Amino acid sequence: MLRVRRTPISMERLARAVRDPKAGAIVVFLGTTRVHNEGRRVVRLEYEAFAGMAEREMQALVDRARRRWRLCRVAMAHRTGVVPVGQVSVGVAVSSGHRAEAFAACRWLIDRLKRTVPIWKREHFRGGCVWIGATPGAPRVAARRKVRRRRR
Amino acid sequence: MVRLRFFAALRERMGPARTETLAPGTTVGALWRSLVAEHPELTRFQVRFAVNEEYVTASHRLADDDEVAFFPPVSGG
Repeated sequence: MLRVRRTPISMERLARAVRDPKAGAIVVFLGTTRVHNEGRRVVRLEYEAFAGMAEREMQALVDRARRRWRLCRVAMAHRTGVVPVGQVSVGVAVSSGHRAEAFAACRWLIDRLKRTVPIWKREHFRGGCVWIGATPGAPRVAARRKVRRRRR
Repeated sequence: MVRLRFFAALRERMGPARTETLAPGTTVGALWRSLVAEHPELTRFQVRFAVNEEYVTASHRLADDDEVAFFPPVSGG
């Protein structure tokens, strides 16, 4: 299931879409709209997609993930239009025989989706709105935080 | 004839779509530069290109009936 729609994303549906008798693990990632971004209080987010290309890019990511890991099923969904703060804007579900593959593939898929799938976010805050990442001066996509790895 | 499509911040400046007749062998980059010449405010935008729903670089040559899309770096999620 690959979906770019205006309708809300259901975790239940994502998980159900990847159920498989051969699977021993299902990992679901949900991205939700955050109230603060770069010091601004966000009122709502609005997403625009190049729908046809977005679904093709998602399919290309699924194909690449399948070459990298042994997966049973994959589902991805992204909302378009206005998404109020605190709601799910994106979801990825992966099932596999064992959990390591599902965790790794799910993480990879959401990271790649954010870099290549043609969807854009407009942030509305009190007193204005801005397209994220459109011009060098505009707010950028939040950098991925560096995770400090500690050896045990 | 080539169909041009614009998305997000670029769509707000340029409208969603238009068609243009191009000289044979025109590259996507040359087409973008001609749009910037017409609309100088486009200079400040970062842009990505896709032809027939696949990413291409500026040196990609356009053919008749292609659909070329111009959009800012993606920011979904």
